[in-house]
Amino acid sequence: MGRYLLRRLSSAIVTLWLLATIVFLIVSVLPGDVGRKVLGPFALKEDVARFNRQLGTDRPLLAQYFTSIRRLFTLNFGSSYNSGGLVRDIIFPALFRSGKLALLAFVITIPISIAAGIFAARRQDKVSDRIVVNVGLATSSIPEFVTAALIMSLFCVHWKLGKVFADPPAGTSVIGQLRMLLAPAMAMVIAYFGYIARMSRAGVIHGLQSDYARTATMKGLSKGKVMRTHILRNALAPTITVISVQVGYLFGGIIGVEKVFNYHGLGSTMLSAVKARDIPVLQGAVLLVGMIYMVSTLLADLLIAVLNPRVRLETTR
Amino acid sequence: MSDTEHPGPHRDHLISTPSADALLPATPVEIELSGALQLSERHQARRENWRLIRRRPAFMIGTFIVAVWLVCAALGDRITPHNPLDFRVSTHLSPRAAFPFGTDSQGRDVLSRVMAGALDVMKVAPLAAVLGVVFGVTVGMLMGYIGGWLDQILSRIVEAFLALPVLLVALLAITTLGNSTLVVIGVVSALFTPVVARTVRAAVLAERDLDYVTSAKLRGESSLFVMFKEILPNVSGPIIVELTVRIGYAVFTVATLSFLGAGPQPPSPDWGAQVSEGFRVISAGIWWTTFFPAVAIASLVIAVNLIADSVQSVLEAS
Repeated sequence: MGRYLLRRLSSAIVTLWLLATIVFLIVSVLPGDVGRKVLGPFALKEDVARFNRQLGTDRPLLAQYFTSIRRLFTLNFGSSYNSGGLVRDIIFPALFRSGKLALLAFVITIPISIAAGIFAARRQDKVSDRIVVNVGLATSSIPEFVTAALIMSLFCVHWKLGKVFADPPAGTSVIGQLRMLLAPAMAMVIAYFGYIARMSRAGVIHGLQSDYARTATMKGLSKGKVMRTHILRNALAPTITVISVQVGYLFGGIIGVEKVFNYHGLGSTMLSAVKARDIPVLQGAVLLVGMIYMVSTLLADLLIAVLNPRVRLETTR
Repeated sequence: MSDTEHPGPHRDHLISTPSADALLPATPVEIELSGALQLSERHQARRENWRLIRRRPAFMIGTFIVAVWLVCAALGDRITPHNPLDFRVSTHLSPRAAFPFGTDSQGRDVLSRVMAGALDVMKVAPLAAVLGVVFGVTVGMLMGYIGGWLDQILSRIVEAFLALPVLLVALLAITTLGNSTLVVIGVVSALFTPVVARTVRAAVLAERDLDYVTSAKLRGESSLFVMFKEILPNVSGPIIVELTVRIGYAVFTVATLSFLGAGPQPPSPDWGAQVSEGFRVISAGIWWTTFFPAVAIASLVIAVNLIADSVQSVLEAS
């Protein structure tokens, strides 16, 4: 296990370094003169020069590159071009707020979609299975902001069932916050339900057809017992991977949902950074989401290794 | 081409594809002819697959919806009931006979704008997907066929790219590089390249050591010839699947980007921009300016995915 852990960890660090390099290329190398790109073609030459000096974009590229890599490990993303404050102080509170929304969405999605996957797998190719599969395909292919806009326009406005603004006023109780976050979370539940349900369905079908499931059934175990103690353990591995990958996508999709519901999380922070061309904030947010993604896939791989010893053995050989 | 004129033995089912029975008897004569046979065989297999795809209701529904939007995109304001850019005094009319989808905050007809808005997404999304697949096939082919250290390095880079949140990076790139259609197409296709490359690499790896590749190498063919003339036709299945899936994602990404303000700007009737304009007044109970363009996006994305899913299940079964 120790060896597996070490190997997986080092590959995560290499990937993180490449990720920072790609972001650096996009932000500092591709645009050429960063100040000119940000301030536009009509800005005064002196303003552009001052901007570049403030941002440090007039320094040699290699020096800039080292700074950006160092920032990755110190979690210090520099200071905002717009407000002058530390990027860290802007994106971490925003991340916390988005995290609440994302967590609520996941807490609802995961049990529902795994249950739907098991349900569909047990009725493979029957009508109820086709419904789960096709509804999952349809809902997971719609962009999150569209689902959010549809929920908003129908449930919140047309039928007046929910709140239009998800931002809770300061001092709202936990229950009150949950109620306000429910509508935007539902938009995300609808978006992520399909993938997870389809993945767990495929895993369970695979497990149901396996020799070990047949042996367990012939041993006289009940259907439920076979499912719980034999099939799910194996079948959930791909599902766990998909869930961990979703974490990365989630922070992309959440931007649209936050914009529709006026929720001040990481997404709307990024959108205002786009409007103000506040590149350090954007860069910090992208790197942070990349890191979250790396950590969640790492955790998922470890969880799978714990569930299934074969994974550990394969890589140590 | 109608399939009733093709009285093949495999009329009713997909169980025996032509390539399967061709493998059984191999007399010397057939081996000599194998080049020509292979070609017609491939042709036949393709026709068979195409027939199976067309038989799926999901494919037909998807194609119908895409066709409707294509017609709207191609004809634009020649078929819209009103001019999509015309202002009117009667703003925020709820849906009624004259304006089935209502009017927006400038009194423009929402139905006409939804119809005309098909053009923006139809221009950008397929182009981005095709470019991404072309780049991805090239990179994946190199990774799979040449292998070695090149594959090692590119695999790492591909993995890092896959860890990037596509939407966020696209936003970042569009903010630094500028908000033009060209940049959107370039960024989306660049972000699709690694995913496609990974799929193609896996497919090429499975082909690389087969006899036809070895014999082409022994004939002294160049690597380029082997990669693109010999291997490419044999991995066309996964590439086609990848293309249809990518078009779906491209519509998704482009619509989201334009909703977030990185795409065609208003007055353009682009769907994403319309949703973003419409939901500003939504708290006043005006739901239709948001609802209809959102449904349009949903219908197109679902339609493309229905097509992709049908193509995928037929090609992966064969």
